[in-house]
Amino acid sequence: MRFATRFFVLSLVLISCGAQAAPTAQEIVAASDKVRNPGQPFRLTSTLQEYVGGQPRDRVVLTVYAKEDAATRQFKNLVRYVDPPRDRGKMVLLDGTRMWFYDPASKVSIRISAQQRLMGQASNGDVMTVNLARDYRATLSGEETLKDADRNERACWRLELAAATDDAVYSRIEYWVERSSYRPVKGKYYSDSGRLLKIAYFRAFRDELGAARPTESIIIDAVDPNQVTTINSSGYRFETIPEAWFQREFLPRLKAE
Amino acid sequence: MMRAAGALAAALACAALAARADDVDLIPQAVRQAAPAAPAARERAAKLNLEDALTVWSLREPAVPVPGGTSLDARNRTSVDLRGRWRLGERLEMSVSDRASAIEENDFAFLSSRAWRNDWREGYFTWEPAPRAWLEAGRINLRNGVALGFNPTDFFKTRTLVDQSSQDPSALRENRLGTFMLRGQRIWDGGSASLAWAPRLYSPTPLEIGLPAAGLRAGLDRTNGAARLLVSTSFELADLAPQLLLYRENGATRLGLNLSRTVGKSVVLYGEWAGGRYPKLITRALAYGRETGTLPPAAPPVLPTEAGDAFQNDLALGLSWTGTAKLTVNAEYLYHQAGMTREDWRRWFSTGSAKASSLPVTGALWYIRAFAADQQEPATREQLFLRAAWSDAFVPHLDLSGFALVNLYDRSRLVQLGATYDFSDRWRLGAYLGANLGRADSERGSLPQAHSAVLQALYYF
Repeated sequence: MRFATRFFVLSLVLISCGAQAAPTAQEIVAASDKVRNPGQPFRLTSTLQEYVGGQPRDRVVLTVYAKEDAATRQFKNLVRYVDPPRDRGKMVLLDGTRMWFYDPASKVSIRISAQQRLMGQASNGDVMTVNLARDYRATLSGEETLKDADRNERACWRLELAAATDDAVYSRIEYWVERSSYRPVKGKYYSDSGRLLKIAYFRAFRDELGAARPTESIIIDAVDPNQVTTINSSGYRFETIPEAWFQREFLPRLKAE
Repeated sequence: MMRAAGALAAALACAALAARADDVDLIPQAVRQAAPAAPAARERAAKLNLEDALTVWSLREPAVPVPGGTSLDARNRTSVDLRGRWRLGERLEMSVSDRASAIEENDFAFLSSRAWRNDWREGYFTWEPAPRAWLEAGRINLRNGVALGFNPTDFFKTRTLVDQSSQDPSALRENRLGTFMLRGQRIWDGGSASLAWAPRLYSPTPLEIGLPAAGLRAGLDRTNGAARLLVSTSFELADLAPQLLLYRENGATRLGLNLSRTVGKSVVLYGEWAGGRYPKLITRALAYGRETGTLPPAAPPVLPTEAGDAFQNDLALGLSWTGTAKLTVNAEYLYHQAGMTREDWRRWFSTGSAKASSLPVTGALWYIRAFAADQQEPATREQLFLRAAWSDAFVPHLDLSGFALVNLYDRSRLVQLGATYDFSDRWRLGAYLGANLGRADSERGSLPQAHSAVLQALYYF
């Protein structure tokens, strides 16, 4: 009897340990989302630096305000152009299927499609905060050791992400998450037609808003690998963002900092 | 040829991609060793640019003679453009938008009094007495509407036109005069409401045929020649982003509605409607000409039309489609019930080209069209607007665009092809080729300006 009890308890412990060691694919992506995104509304500055043939070219600076909808777990984003001078003051609202572009020169907000999120020098799809676990259905396709952007080897889960909502920017993503830390290491992003569009590496993890977060993404254009863009995030700050900000009528009212 | 070269380069790049052992090798050394980006400097409150735009026109003899003829075939405009918003206190801001220009034309002497013009577009104070509630006073450019080719609900667009480089309707909106008004707006979760009241400060003044006259006048006589009131509200409903508007001018009321919705990943559908009781374009134009002394007070109507008020509908229905190659196409059907019908146009040409037509008759005919342009309302009842814009076309930073505004009665059209190239963060070069195409007895084919070419250079400070 005593042996049976011990065996049962041991079995439970082993099962429990096993469950902790092998989270589901969706749980891995959700945990990785928490590494990338603070849990409270926040703002940050994104600096996009474009390289062509290894040489720095254009630079775009954006202020991004992000807030997670408690009900849908979808992030709402407000993006304001700070630099270059010709784009200063332009704004983009990204809230699910409600997407608006505001130009202070014409003083009008124009509704844009999901496809237009990916246009412009700075792809709004790249700078917007998203919960991948919400927008994609994940499956675990294996484990592998991978070189990160700094050529350090990382033991990763390899995940397949398939678009599960209309809000998903990409049709399919291959995603590598470090097993020991749930840090995102690399992603490969595909179009509806299955064409590889971008390869992204995440690096420069620093303590920001209560967790070690990747403060730099390196995005390689898969069609023309000579074109590489880095996105540096700085100026993290928790921010009180009223719900009323996420409508087109507010865009002309968002103040410069 | 360039497409083929681009496809070959992309194919070679993909082959290189496939051949690499590890994607990490694609990261250039310069990227890996780059210092972290310095924190961004504070955003400047003002946006300043310097522009030079040279325009040349090819002229033709119109079927209906233009009184006084048209001799302008070249203009150069050098402008300093300022837009700024400054914080004066915790809840108080000041906004200014202005463009000062030096103009050279072939039809007046260099550095004459006509060579200087200031377009004071905006100047107003904003006070936020409570969170997400604003009161504003001053000259404000208040815009509404979701369409590109014609905005029925953009009630404050009348008499606001200033000199432009591009003839694209979306560019026309970037440079226009605001109206002196008091405005209040309140925004709440998922909705907003605003009220704007513009007083009558001047009696109606004569049209400035062609482009507005040079000078340093504020032009409030153009924007504040009537008392106007606009109440609007927007809210969320079935992802249609509706906006309802109520507008009153000289005791007459118009209603307006804007709707838009995304369909799939690439398409946005939008619609814009306004309706109210007011006279036809021809009646209003001739009445305004008589009231302001441009046309003789006792002049009989040159064209028969309904004289009284009738309910008029304005409509713009459109869609935009965006492809993966950064190409966006807009198509819109535009309806302006008060505009000229096929029969009105037939009479316009038959009256104007008759041998017995006198100068006052042709003057009145052209005045109708000048009035429509000044009001920024279509002269024609039914039009089609097509526009395509291609970002990073062939090479990064090259944007190509083209549009056509087609009269659905005579198929005449205003077309423009444009290209802009950003040489750097601060320098932009633009070129536009425009044409008024159609038979001599068509709306566009009857204009004296047959073709135009614009070369534009912009520097952003």
